[in-house]
Amino acid sequence: MSSEQDHLKETDTEERFEFKKEQRAAVKSNKGLTEEVVRLISEDKDEPEWMLQRRLRALEHYQNMPLPTDWPGQPDLTELDVEEIVPYIRPDVDKREGADSWDDLPDDIKDTFEKLGIPEAERKALSGVGAQYESEVVYQNMQDQWEEKGVVFCNMDRAVQEHEDLVKEYFMTKCVPPSDNKFAALHGAVWSGGSFVYVPEDVTVQMPVQAYFRMNSEGMGQFEHTLIIAEKGSEVHYIEGCSAPKYGSHNLHSGGVEVFVDEDAHVQYSTVQNWSKNTFNLNTKRAIVEAGGRMEWVSGSMGSKATMLYPCSILKGRGASANQISIAFAGEGQNIDTGAKVYHNAPKTNSTIESKSISKDGGRTNYRGLVHISDGAVDSSTAVECDALMFDNESTSDTMPYMEINEDRVDVAHEATVGKIGDEDVFYLQSRGLDDDDAKQMIVSGFIEPITEELPIEYAVELNRLIELEMEGSLG
Amino acid sequence: MSTQVHSTLSEETVREISGNLSEPDWLLETRLDALDALSDVDMPDVIRTPGRDWTNLDALDYEGFVDPLSADEQKDRVEPEGVSVLSMADALDEHEDLVKEYFGSIIDPQENYLTALSTALFTTGTLIYVPKGVDAEDVKIRTTMQSQSLFNYTLVVTEESSSVTILERQDSEELSGERYYSGLVEIAAGENSHVQYGSLQDLDEETYNYTLKRGNTEDYATLNWIEGNLGSRLTKSSVETNLDGEGSETKTVGAFFGHEDQHFDIAARVWHNTAHTTADLVTRGVLDDEARSVYEGVQDVGTEAWDTSSYQRENTLMLSDGSEADASPKLIINNHDTEASHSATVGQIDKEDLFYMTSRGVPPQLAKDMLVEGFFVPVLDEVEVEELREDLDSGIVERLG
Repeated sequence: MSSEQDHLKETDTEERFEFKKEQRAAVKSNKGLTEEVVRLISEDKDEPEWMLQRRLRALEHYQNMPLPTDWPGQPDLTELDVEEIVPYIRPDVDKREGADSWDDLPDDIKDTFEKLGIPEAERKALSGVGAQYESEVVYQNMQDQWEEKGVVFCNMDRAVQEHEDLVKEYFMTKCVPPSDNKFAALHGAVWSGGSFVYVPEDVTVQMPVQAYFRMNSEGMGQFEHTLIIAEKGSEVHYIEGCSAPKYGSHNLHSGGVEVFVDEDAHVQYSTVQNWSKNTFNLNTKRAIVEAGGRMEWVSGSMGSKATMLYPCSILKGRGASANQISIAFAGEGQNIDTGAKVYHNAPKTNSTIESKSISKDGGRTNYRGLVHISDGAVDSSTAVECDALMFDNESTSDTMPYMEINEDRVDVAHEATVGKIGDEDVFYLQSRGLDDDDAKQMIVSGFIEPITEELPIEYAVELNRLIELEMEGSLG
Repeated sequence: MSTQVHSTLSEETVREISGNLSEPDWLLETRLDALDALSDVDMPDVIRTPGRDWTNLDALDYEGFVDPLSADEQKDRVEPEGVSVLSMADALDEHEDLVKEYFGSIIDPQENYLTALSTALFTTGTLIYVPKGVDAEDVKIRTTMQSQSLFNYTLVVTEESSSVTILERQDSEELSGERYYSGLVEIAAGENSHVQYGSLQDLDEETYNYTLKRGNTEDYATLNWIEGNLGSRLTKSSVETNLDGEGSETKTVGAFFGHEDQHFDIAARVWHNTAHTTADLVTRGVLDDEARSVYEGVQDVGTEAWDTSSYQRENTLMLSDGSEADASPKLIINNHDTEASHSATVGQIDKEDLFYMTSRGVPPQLAKDMLVEGFFVPVLDEVEVEELREDLDSGIVERLG
């Protein structure tokens, strides 16, 4: 193992994620979702009128839409009281659009990200890093070589000002309209921060760009918006990580992600989610993929009290493809309800979904998926594979895939398995000298390897380390 | 959400049906309670994704085609030695205690709108009673529907260490206009008994068909189902087993072949409620023309179901552009000491197979037909009742034309 991995392994993850800082707010909205709060956010950001109007329309949708309550086996949302959530906290930093240097940040915020290892990761292998604290991006930087090629990586608030035409065209219009679901509507009303990524035609951003989201305050909501536009033939890998300390009251994270993959472009979107176990994580992530384009979703869902997240790919052009790999780990008191949605709307489109879940100590995981093959999507194929590993009898694991097939010239396959950790495997490893915990850890690492393989090394190590901690029961 | 209530359905109608069958009061009361419940209970659950019910039962015009007092059928029952195969009227004469104990005990009459309707209005039914230690083969019941609507009820009770194979068929004589057939089947499989229940539905294609078949198993019992669906305009069928007894087993083998504008909503469900139970659900279906299938498979492993094995496979073959196949195989696992898997596939006839056969001189249409027939072989092989297997196969061949 390299020293880099050793270093990451040795870091105390609990200490890295669970620390709390004093609240640092320049502007803090009232609790709840009201027109007044929405106007305050828009005004504080000095937004153009059209964005305010979009927010207000989203608010209207939010107020008119019901909570999802009748999904079989869905997480319990009754404890989530949106009226008690503070949707907007602008941290008190010098530069609204995000500092260019870590040194320009206040010490406590800098210390936060140092502890999370973000600046270090940036120095090592990333094309650029954005860091969001509460509702705003406090740091944003991208290597010059990419900027020279016309790549844009900035925070969403800045994009509204500096790339207004693009944002106006793409922001919650074609991909995730606020009318999509209750939490997309909520997001549309109070969104703040997030990333804007624009990659011009035929540019390949070789190293990943990264954004890290940190919630520090009790009872707040974080609603970052990520908009990625990859022009024809371009390529980019975006990674996000997130965390928050644990408080007594509930936090809400409701992000919105919109990805536009133009012809023959390739976007990979990776997430390692480690929200504290009082956070409701209710996101909408969707990509529209044109002919020959490829979308890859990679996600590791570790934290949160309840997660409802089903990244969606709309395969719009001939030969478009989507791959999705996810791992969910639910420990005590957690309900991770996640899956995938793919719409095959054109001929020769292809998708693969690989979902792994682990449940332990009464945790609950659910794979909920929808594969839709439209009439005319000839010669399309999809393969869905779900595997669940259960540690004990208090835990629950469900698989609920839906397949809607309107075209006969297709190839559709779904497979799922559930099993407990193999006694024989554990025995074998023990007979080779490993103790019980190490043996199980090794089996789990093998089980999730298809996921970790897709992530940059820091994230892969991080994910393994997090799972190790979960298994020792030392987190949360 | 309450469903439609029929103005034409009244207490008098129900009393008249019950009176014609000289029923005891308790059964009349059960019917009247079910009639009352019609205004309160919902339609059976259907698969729903945002914005869409996969089968729209509310759209059916029950008022238009339910005509309980004109119910007419031809019924043939074959009763092997040692077993009682009785019409409901005879069953109430000879084994009233048995009927009273089990009727409505496995399917709650007020479970949903269509079970309540069925309970209030059934005019024909059969009790199959297999006493302790009796081995019986070839119980056969054939129901030919001769009226606009028909409500059929089947109750199977097997005692300890008995075995029975049952073949129940539904077909209909041609009549004009939309029609409705409803069938409820309850099976109480006693300790260590072995029940094989096969159903072959070949109703005419103007008929809407609702069937719910559910069985409970005691310790070491085996309950195997065969569910063949060829006819009807729309079928909503669910075959369900509660594995209540330790070491009990169930297998469900399903086959359907839809053409023209047929709609099949097929469910296979199993609940593992105790230790050491095993389930295997296998369904294959073919769709042609504008036909549509909705498949839901549920394997539910309860907290107390230690050492469970549960398997499910569903394969659909689509022959035409206009057909649609929806599938949702669900796993719900609450005990980790489980080995469970499910898989579902949808595809078309393998081009290479077709090419291979045509290159050997088989005309294309014949080659296609042979491949479709071959597609059903893995499920036909699972059908232990020879007559059912042959009839299902010939129904498939006939459908291929």
